Amino acid sequence: MITQILSLTVLSESGRVGNLAAAVVTFHDVTYYANKDGSSQCQVVCCETASYSPSDSLLETEYSEKMLLSTWSRLCCRAASSRGQRTLSLFSSPGASNWSKVVSDAEKIVGYPTSFMSLRCLLSDELSNVAMHVRKLVGTRHPLLSTARGFVYDSKNNLQMRGVIVLLISKAAGPSHAASDLLAQDMVSGIYPSQRNLAEITELIHTAFLVHRGIVNLREWTVSDGPLKDMQFGNKMAVLSGDFLLANACTGLAQLNNTKVVELISSAIGDLVQGIYNENSNNTEENGLTDGVDVETWEEQTFLSHGALLAKSCQAAMELAKHDKESQRLAYKYGRHLSLGHKLNSDLQPFVKSGVGELLSFSLDAAPVVFHRQIVGQERWHQQLQQAKTLRNQLDYSKLLAVVKSEKGMSSAVDLCRYHGNKALEAIQAFPSSEARSALENIASTVSKF
Amino acid sequence: MAGPWWSRCRNWSTNFTSASVFETLRRVSGRSAALTEVAFPGRASWTSRPRSEAQPMTNLKILNFTSSLNRLKPRLLGPTLQPCCCRTIHSDAQVQDPFTLAQKDLTSLYDDIKKELFVSKEELKFLCDYYFDGKGKAIRPMIVVLMARALNIHSNRAGDLLPGQRAIAMISEMIHTASLVHDDVIDGSDKRRGKGTIHEVWGERKAILAGDFILSAASLALARIGNITVVKVLSQVIEDLVRGEFMQLGSKENENERFKHYLEKTFKKTASLIANSCKAVSILVNPDPDVHEIAFQFGKNVGIAFQLVDDVLDFTSGASQLGKPSAADLKLGLATGPVLFACQQFPELHAMIMRRFSSDGDVDRAWKYVLQSDGVEQTSFLARHYGQEAIRHVRMLRPSPERDALIRLTEMVLTRDK
Repeated sequence: MITQILSLTVLSESGRVGNLAAAVVTFHDVTYYANKDGSSQCQVVCCETASYSPSDSLLETEYSEKMLLSTWSRLCCRAASSRGQRTLSLFSSPGASNWSKVVSDAEKIVGYPTSFMSLRCLLSDELSNVAMHVRKLVGTRHPLLSTARGFVYDSKNNLQMRGVIVLLISKAAGPSHAASDLLAQDMVSGIYPSQRNLAEITELIHTAFLVHRGIVNLREWTVSDGPLKDMQFGNKMAVLSGDFLLANACTGLAQLNNTKVVELISSAIGDLVQGIYNENSNNTEENGLTDGVDVETWEEQTFLSHGALLAKSCQAAMELAKHDKESQRLAYKYGRHLSLGHKLNSDLQPFVKSGVGELLSFSLDAAPVVFHRQIVGQERWHQQLQQAKTLRNQLDYSKLLAVVKSEKGMSSAVDLCRYHGNKALEAIQAFPSSEARSALENIASTVSKF
Repeated sequence: MAGPWWSRCRNWSTNFTSASVFETLRRVSGRSAALTEVAFPGRASWTSRPRSEAQPMTNLKILNFTSSLNRLKPRLLGPTLQPCCCRTIHSDAQVQDPFTLAQKDLTSLYDDIKKELFVSKEELKFLCDYYFDGKGKAIRPMIVVLMARALNIHSNRAGDLLPGQRAIAMISEMIHTASLVHDDVIDGSDKRRGKGTIHEVWGERKAILAGDFILSAASLALARIGNITVVKVLSQVIEDLVRGEFMQLGSKENENERFKHYLEKTFKKTASLIANSCKAVSILVNPDPDVHEIAFQFGKNVGIAFQLVDDVLDFTSGASQLGKPSAADLKLGLATGPVLFACQQFPELHAMIMRRFSSDGDVDRAWKYVLQSDGVEQTSFLARHYGQEAIRHVRMLRPSPERDALIRLTEMVLTRDK
């Protein structure tokens, strides 16, 4: 949803809407933007605003929505052009083109993708405010910027991935015998409205944590990040907008009128927080010299950070349609294995890509490395790390990559990825054959293809 | 010790005969009832944007109210609620101290909360438990359990608290704490309850996650109560808290709008949690919407009174204890009640409010203006008005020791000095 809105605005930006939208910016700190690193973007905004009076409050309410979109997209474009194409691992997707096709085909099956809950959220005064303030961060290294950029850029088929899967599995399961026929009348493209809301809530939660993941520890601040004041401000915005998305998810959840679903999704939020917390503490061992996690722990932690939300949302979608425990279990299983497969696949991308000349980098917590460490043992791994270091004590990733590739680490990760893909396929087989089910099958098999 | 103006108030109150106090208070509350109606309409309309044509009317009401305050001020400065309230609590036995009365239901509060915060990772567990060390005032759970017991008696239900009511007391403290952790990051505060804030010790990233986790645990406990209406009522709180925080980011150009903005923010950031928790415990025991409304109104009014007193103390409490202003709100760029009232007498404050006291010397200058004005007195008066409204609502419940303790607690909220 978010992606669509934003890309829509990029189109409308040159037109009237864009102009009016920019006008609303008059209200807030225009002078601030004007003297901010002489950006032409900001100059344009200032020129446009000149002709509107700040007291025109009607303008504000009516156009704040459009303004949000245009500011975010402007911001994102600028951020991207000024800083090159550093890909964000959060958004990287397995076998890009294949994946895109599978997901966009799947979107067609579920009809209109969402219930517009996130639209309402994005158009709120609160987030319009954030969008305006986020402009102050241009030129800094606050992660909120790249998260915002991610909404526009290569996220197209990842940001909504969870929502689409929840909708597909809802459709694949169909109406249940336990639900009354009256409810079935409300179905659109074979999906209950409550299930559409759930899909949206899943996306809101996911997005909220993308934003909260980008909180910066101010004690680690360095001059190259940009002014400390701006970084503080970026944190403030990130905390608030993440909280706002989360709060909307909470109220949306309550509106589903099912306390079991509230319970499931709340526990998924708890899982997600724990998973991200683990990510954080793993990342601090940047030199890779401390004991890494073993494969089993890696799987547990990855489930928390990347799988629990989808697995529990799939289960909740079954609960909303009053499907029995067995369907709930299978839906959970599909979500769980698919997310693990998906994560393994994206972790494997740097290792399977044959592209030369690209600036290569990967996390030392990526699945193939975790496997590799466990296979060669801690001691040899430390030696290999030392050997892969350049004179300036920087890691030479291409060297390290070759080392990992030379042993079984990579192939073990590929095997595990295929295993999870197959498990997901297996889970979905119990649902009646349908267009939606084949889409879910396609997604599962794409995940385990390289 | 009370700030200087409190003692001044006490002196004043002896100069009034009770009859005239009642007379004047009634006159004001007649007007201000309109204020409360307009500024705090039904729950549903809170989330939607105010219609543009409705706004001027609201402003007018607030204008009336504030100007009436100005007019009445010289006669009204004094009366504290205490003398009249104690007189009218009708129970022969002495009113029990609310803290003692609520104690039996709160002994296991923090242990129960820690059980809800089930995490495998030790460090995260430690962070989540950090503020549940028993050093907080736990004023929200106290109000919730007293209200729950008062409501149970009102609803002819003898015996212990319902498990769900007990859970709501716990959840109210969890939601409050989660929002504290996030607010501290937003405000960059380094001390809370006598120790370093979580982000000060472990960094912002972990602090935010700890807050998120406490919130998810609260939401989980809430769902387990199994009542969807209760879930809806308390989810609203979470939304209000965030919206209130957003409102704090902006200030309004127009003075009357600014006052409305301030009261609305105060409701969302402080009162909504108390009001909706009270409402939630009422839903569990009584099907009557009128009773839910009594519980909600009590919580709302006592919550706003609580925050107004807090805003006053930000100017007065540091002054008497340390000889210099704490003025923490000013330093954060926030214009609270005392400043907004002072701005009516000293228009110079207007520019400072708009630039959020960001220029050199703004905080000191603003502080001096506030103390020269009667902003502190007027804010306290407003707090007393809300306190009185709270008492008026809770009186509608059948008499019980817990009900009287809530009345007593409201008085204590108004007279507290820290």
